[in-house]
Amino acid sequence: MLKKIEGSIPLTLLLIAAGFLAYGYLTSLLKMTDFMIFCIFVLGFDLVYGHMGQLSFGHMLYLGAGAYGAGLSAKYLSPDPFLALAAGLLVAGLAGAVLGPLLVRTTGACFALLNLAFNQVGHFLILVPLAPITGGEDGLSLTFSSYGWVNFSNLTFIFYLVLAVLLAVAFLILKFESSPFGLLLKSVKENEIRVRFLGYNTYFYKWITFIFSAALSGLAGALTVLNYGYTNPSFIDPTRNVEVIFAALMGGAGQVIGAVVGGTAFMTISNYLARYILRWEMFLGVALLLIAFRFRKGIWGYLREV
Amino acid sequence: MLLGQRRRGMLLTVDRLNVHYGSAQVLHDISLQIKAGELVCLVGRNGAGKTTLLKTIGGFLKPTSGSISFQGNRIDGRPPEKVALQGLRYVFQDKRVFSELTVRDNLELAAFPTKEPLEQAVKRLIGIHPKMEKLLHSKARGLSGGERQILLLGRALIGEPALLLIDEPTEGLAAIIIREIAQVLESLKARISMIIVEQNLALVSRLADRIYIMKEGAIFQEISDSNLIRQPQHYQDYL
Repeated sequence: MLKKIEGSIPLTLLLIAAGFLAYGYLTSLLKMTDFMIFCIFVLGFDLVYGHMGQLSFGHMLYLGAGAYGAGLSAKYLSPDPFLALAAGLLVAGLAGAVLGPLLVRTTGACFALLNLAFNQVGHFLILVPLAPITGGEDGLSLTFSSYGWVNFSNLTFIFYLVLAVLLAVAFLILKFESSPFGLLLKSVKENEIRVRFLGYNTYFYKWITFIFSAALSGLAGALTVLNYGYTNPSFIDPTRNVEVIFAALMGGAGQVIGAVVGGTAFMTISNYLARYILRWEMFLGVALLLIAFRFRKGIWGYLREV
Repeated sequence: MLLGQRRRGMLLTVDRLNVHYGSAQVLHDISLQIKAGELVCLVGRNGAGKTTLLKTIGGFLKPTSGSISFQGNRIDGRPPEKVALQGLRYVFQDKRVFSELTVRDNLELAAFPTKEPLEQAVKRLIGIHPKMEKLLHSKARGLSGGERQILLLGRALIGEPALLLIDEPTEGLAAIIIREIAQVLESLKARISMIIVEQNLALVSRLADRIYIMKEGAIFQEISDSNLIRQPQHYQDYL
């Protein structure tokens, strides 16, 4: 049954939409908007981790680039929310394009730590040398223009907008998975050198994937800024990288529904468990141990094989 | 140039090739030539440098000195993807296919950079081994060792390369499968040049136009007399 859903793009999108609508109206649209934005981030991160097979410890850099791209655009160029979204996407994609050629030539621990190093640099730049324009530790408080019913301070509007963006991102990734590019990336993950022997410059394809991944993470950052109306250094904080890694592992890497399930599960634990248990992070640790020893393919990976 | 036309002239020239792994020299002054249409076998004991030589020709390893010319162009030190696109394909020893892809997807992946239509690649694979037709939509991880080898050969032929480098095609296969692989290689022999690393001397004596015996990282002897080639007892001591 679950495999059947996963095999069909419309059913997958329907499942995601129905799940968030039900969860949103049963709990809170505000929280669910947050959850969906985080899922977009997990989907972007998973392009590099689940599909390309490289673990990045520094994807908060691209989320932050998107957030600051959107924030600075709103602060210094125009309060147009769509311009802010485009700026966030562009700045993060550009960061991926610039850093990608170096990063995709590395693998394993080197790839993970170089990403972390760039994230640290980005965090420092925002906090110290660029503080006069980024607001430093205080961040930036922002207002966005409204156009009739297009109003980013309206909770329902932003919920449906983010849901539409999430579905569009999921659709694109599902189409990508079954495309020749998707096949290529799957093969690069399995054995990169063999792919090179078929005549592919794998660095180029990995670079393109990295740019998409960074841009999607930036999109999540820009949406976060539109949702909250401010940006601050926590959006680029390298210590928060563990969140997206954890979510991807929890849901099941390399699967669209897995990323969404993982993102939602992580946000549920961190938002709701924290109300009742002071040191809720311990449960994340226990969950990680369970995943490592019992559910190697994550929650979705396990469910689809039951 | 179309597959099926036996080519003439010098295809590959390796000249005084030296290769190191770190500070250890593994190939010493290797020189050899492959003519178009030839099937050359490399034989020798484990560690003699046969696979290292194939990997260096294929672009996987960079030589420390010497040159490799393919169809008149220097290819030494070029990355494997560029070597592959020049018409030189490598079939690895470990028979690893892209296991998460179907047989058809494996072919599609190889067909894309060469711009060969997928249907032509599929037709060629089935032509080599008709039983593969039933397996086209199966995940490659379910294939037997022999089927994997056939798929790897079929994949390597996509884009009509001029030279195949095949590393131990029959290693680890059952006798009946080895016969099938031998038939496939024999059928290809008329159409494409090959360098085959092989320990199975019965197969070598059946297929080879020339033999290079390797020992301790160097070419120890070249055998081009077909009468000697057909009598493996003349060179079995080198294995």
